[in-house]
Amino acid sequence: MSRATASLPRTVGAHAALLAYTAIALFPVVVIVINSFKSRNAIFRTPLSPPTSETFDLIGYTMVLNQGDFFLYFQNSLIVTVASLFLVLLFGAMAAFALSEYRFRGNTLMGLYLALGIMIPIRLGTVAILQLMVASGLVNTLTALVLVYTAQGLPLAVFILSEFMKQVSDDLKNAGRIDGLSEYRIFFRLVLPLVRPSMATVAVFTMIPIWNDLWFPLILAPSEATKTITLGAQLFIGQYVTNWNAVLAALSLAILPVLVLYLIFSRQLIRGITSGAVK
Amino acid sequence: MGSLTIDKVKKSFGRVDVLKGIDLAVNDGEFVVFVGPSGCGKSTLLRIIAGLEDSTSGRVLIDGADVTVTPPANRGIAMVFQTYALYPHLTVRSNMSLGLKQIGTPAAEIDRRVTAASTMLSLEPYLERRPAELSGGQRQRVAIGRAVVREPKLFLFDEPLSNLDAALRVNTRLEIAQLHRRLKATMIYVTHDQVEAMTLADKIVVLNAGRIEQVGAPMDLYNKPANEFVAGFIGSPRMNFIDAAKLGEGQAKTIGVRPEHLTVDTGSGAWKGTVVHAEHLGADTNLYVETEKAGLLTVRIFGVYGAEAGSTLYVTPDPQRTYRFDADGKALA
Amino acid sequence: MAGEFAQQKKPIRWHIAVFLAPAVLVYTAVMIIPLFGTLQLSLFNAENQQRFFVGLDNFRKLFGDPRWSASFWNALWNNTWFFIIHMLVQNPIGIGLAALLSSPKLRFSAFYRTAIFIPTILSFVIVGFAWKLILSPLWGVAPNLLDLVGLKSLFTPWLGKEEYALTTLGLISVWQFVGIPMMLIYAALLSIPDEVIEAAEMDGITGMAQFWKIKLPLILPSIGIISILTFVGNFNAFDLIYSAQGALAGPNYSTDILGTFLYRTFFGFQLQTGDPYMGSAIASMMFLIILTGVCIYLFTIQTRLRRYQF
Repeated sequence: MSRATASLPRTVGAHAALLAYTAIALFPVVVIVINSFKSRNAIFRTPLSPPTSETFDLIGYTMVLNQGDFFLYFQNSLIVTVASLFLVLLFGAMAAFALSEYRFRGNTLMGLYLALGIMIPIRLGTVAILQLMVASGLVNTLTALVLVYTAQGLPLAVFILSEFMKQVSDDLKNAGRIDGLSEYRIFFRLVLPLVRPSMATVAVFTMIPIWNDLWFPLILAPSEATKTITLGAQLFIGQYVTNWNAVLAALSLAILPVLVLYLIFSRQLIRGITSGAVK
Repeated sequence: MGSLTIDKVKKSFGRVDVLKGIDLAVNDGEFVVFVGPSGCGKSTLLRIIAGLEDSTSGRVLIDGADVTVTPPANRGIAMVFQTYALYPHLTVRSNMSLGLKQIGTPAAEIDRRVTAASTMLSLEPYLERRPAELSGGQRQRVAIGRAVVREPKLFLFDEPLSNLDAALRVNTRLEIAQLHRRLKATMIYVTHDQVEAMTLADKIVVLNAGRIEQVGAPMDLYNKPANEFVAGFIGSPRMNFIDAAKLGEGQAKTIGVRPEHLTVDTGSGAWKGTVVHAEHLGADTNLYVETEKAGLLTVRIFGVYGAEAGSTLYVTPDPQRTYRFDADGKALA
Repeated sequence: MAGEFAQQKKPIRWHIAVFLAPAVLVYTAVMIIPLFGTLQLSLFNAENQQRFFVGLDNFRKLFGDPRWSASFWNALWNNTWFFIIHMLVQNPIGIGLAALLSSPKLRFSAFYRTAIFIPTILSFVIVGFAWKLILSPLWGVAPNLLDLVGLKSLFTPWLGKEEYALTTLGLISVWQFVGIPMMLIYAALLSIPDEVIEAAEMDGITGMAQFWKIKLPLILPSIGIISILTFVGNFNAFDLIYSAQGALAGPNYSTDILGTFLYRTFFGFQLQTGDPYMGSAIASMMFLIILTGVCIYLFTIQTRLRRYQF
């Protein structure tokens, strides 16, 4: 904006407010992380200062990592998240293509049916989901979690992706048809590559709640072999609640992977939101 | 009340110089059109006058007062945007009155001005509608009405007709011309369409690559273009440019002849050539003739002319109406 | 010719079914059927491993039995308060931040955006414990901070006090989720064409007037969507309370919301054994509440909010 329309106090005020809120947003994270690198005494004596050479201590991390199970939990979370994500994107894109590309009887109804899950949380069906999993012998398996998360992620994925697929040019698809491509090839070869950016957006939206979920791991797969990192961290921290070093280190370790993923995908996420996918 | 002076205005975006020093004086009541190809800086110049964009250096004066750092609303101007930029949540009436309300104009006065403007622009039936319920032409009239009610010293139009279809464009052009005649206000109008420029302007400013190429009345630019660029930009179809060396002309680098200043004959003439293509428009005929001596020429003939591709013709220029340009493109007397 | 074609039956387009089948099957089997299964289960009870139909008895118990109804109304009121906090604090802050972020030519806006969104991506477990530690009187980060501004006397262990705990958790949740309204409103503000804003500048509508008169009316539909998302999210919340206060939603159930109430009823706690039938009844009530909210939004609010074509 030009000099004539901008005012200095307003700009300074905007920065001050945003900086203040950024500090509020980051403060707890920063406090946790810096204290995780300090000795027990320093944690209590000077909680707000960063670790110095005297107070630097990795005891919390060695304690957590000696627990050993964390690698298994991490692996479980990774398997569950990646598998659910893959299924959500594949099935979601296929359904979105069918809904946006073809006119058939019940099209609108099917769209509404699938959109129902955006508003009604899957958790309300937990009682029956558990019974279903017990009946099919899937309790305490990662498959149970993958199935639930796929169902949970599909409604929003279908909704967002069909919005994007409507924007893919009809001429392109018709050119494919004239060239003799089957509908499947048109979907996989022409449409999917074009909506890849929106797939990334959907991926971020789907991934975060799955990785962070506590409810279903707690209910469907609480066994030692199938614990996710979120559930593992919850239990570990509950158990070691008086061991501050271990708790802070565990929290920092739990923050790290999500933070890295977020920083990698944040541009994608913001582009996805601002391109109007979820308005 | 309504004069504008632009004093050595320069504008760069990063390392790109968009305006390379513009000086211009606009008199009260004048209709001035900025015309030029896309990217010539005409819209940037308009936005600097409006105060929506900063100049890198230089001053803008309205009625002699320096407004370089005055907020747009206090410059006594009004602007009509290319995309109309109507407030979608407000009715036509509110769209027109919002700015007046903001400065605390009495309701009766607002009402009077809105009524006057909507009568002038035949918008009365639509006053309570929202922009989404209007056609493109109606929206554009609302945008003009919103400018009119502010009773500005200076009207700014940023390519206001480019989103309208051809027929509406002619109508709205006419309305803008009438508006100018009635209000006698100073108007600055940006377009890339030289027909709009020729039909509306008291004074045309031809811009190219951040510089003013020529300022003048429409017929001055047509009859006495200052350089090759203006000669080629004004007039349609475009002026023919012929390498002077081919014609054995000494001083000039290039010779220019407008298509309407060429005549054709089947028997004899200056340059012998073959018709490559003929466009029959009814009122006139455009012939593209490949001549042996002067290269490919466009010839405009009034009325119907029965020539088909492949036929041989002789083309003769009107000696009174040829232009000479030197190596820098400057027109030679 | 035409007649010939008309007589031919259109071939069944199997590919449509193939494209739809996987999503519809998983979604129906794992989400919709259990959802209705739960609703159905709320009409049953069991004794000695025998399930039998009891009609609305579970609901009668939920509302008639003083112990059950007290817990339910406590959870519902707490949940409502939780929602009110979000509506009054989270959404205005989110809108304010978005308005600041969208000011033209604001430097570092990508940095602010990224940083303010970070809490949203963290899991409830991290958020719950991190704040528990920070607010803990044992550690002293919060008292230390208050001391810096001379307000140390204000400190109390907020999470441990019945009268503050729920509000504190609500504010923690606001801290975590403010990024979502911020991003959605930010996107809505960006979609307002520059020329409309410039027209407002020309009309002399600048600063706060511009926000109230031009921008806010244009982002109302987005605010509506955010409100309903907040509603659904809040009445479905569980994790944060569970992480910070445990299944008992202490102190003395003062932070109990429908999610934790459902969990305790379903799985049992301490001496009480889990009861899937009463759990289903609570889930059905939650379903009803959320459905009512969504319907109110869809049929009364959304129809009045205009979406504008620019």
